[in-house]
Amino acid sequence: MSLDQLWQLSYNSKTVDLLRNSKYAIPLIQSVHLLGITMLLGSLVILNLRLLGLGLRDFSMKTLVNQVWRWGVWGMGIAIASGLLVFLPDPTRYAANTAFRVKLVLLCTAILYQFFVFRRVVRSEAAEVASTGNAIAACFALTLWFMVGWAGRAIGFLG
Amino acid sequence: MLHWFHWLQNTSFATGIRQADLLFPLIEGTHILALSFSVGLIVMLDLRLLRLAFKSEPVSKVMHQMMPWALPGFAVMFITGIVLFITQAEKAYANTFFRYKILLLALAGLNALVYQFKFYPHMKDWDTAPSVPAGARFTAALSLGLWIAIIALGRTMAYEL
Repeated sequence: MSLDQLWQLSYNSKTVDLLRNSKYAIPLIQSVHLLGITMLLGSLVILNLRLLGLGLRDFSMKTLVNQVWRWGVWGMGIAIASGLLVFLPDPTRYAANTAFRVKLVLLCTAILYQFFVFRRVVRSEAAEVASTGNAIAACFALTLWFMVGWAGRAIGFLG
Repeated sequence: MLHWFHWLQNTSFATGIRQADLLFPLIEGTHILALSFSVGLIVMLDLRLLRLAFKSEPVSKVMHQMMPWALPGFAVMFITGIVLFITQAEKAYANTFFRYKILLLALAGLNALVYQFKFYPHMKDWDTAPSVPAGARFTAALSLGLWIAIIALGRTMAYEL
């Protein structure tokens, strides 16, 4: 089955039809989406302020990773699941939206970076002391994820 | 009050923001993304009080490490929030979700004051203890619940505007 057929199947399903026609479903799911984003970005801000040496310096990087990484992953899961539920009732509108396309590309890049690069950086011994390498890794993480957020915000304004 | 809000949203400041193409989305985006600095950091104190995170760290340490970034975060949200309100004062005033949001924001402020004046002065007694006083845990749970509701109401109010 192709991806297009999958969207079509979901579009025609009773559950997605219910989401589309309920007055409160989409605002509620959008609220959950924003809560997930707040969890994810909150955890990222904490890790990156420490990585940049700008804040939370009384904690070791190890402690911060142990305490906030999982909250970030939960937030990401919640944001992706709720995001999918916003997308499925109206896939053609979103697929045609430039901001949405940009957001998806940025999101995929950010997820790959998060789990294959950033995860290793924050868990390394070198993460404890501020350095140019750490600063680059932190700026890249913050820029990528906040750009995902800005692109998401632009979806509604580009129609 | 409505009369005053009508005047407010027709000031040149408000109409200027409304008419500039990108200004409103930029202020709104900043308002939303500042959540990660304000609520994103303050919930860590709530989670510590509830012993759901930073369990082996002193409460005072979590508080003093989060505050220098959470407070400017709240300041950015507050200022951008006021600007957003000014540009659409009449509609916002009439919006049920907005009214509840303001009510819950006032409660969250009151709750923070209760923590600050009732529990914070005695924090050294239980700073590193394995249990947190029930009252302080209650303010933490209330804070978490209120912020979740405030975010949801803030997002939902956009559908009625």
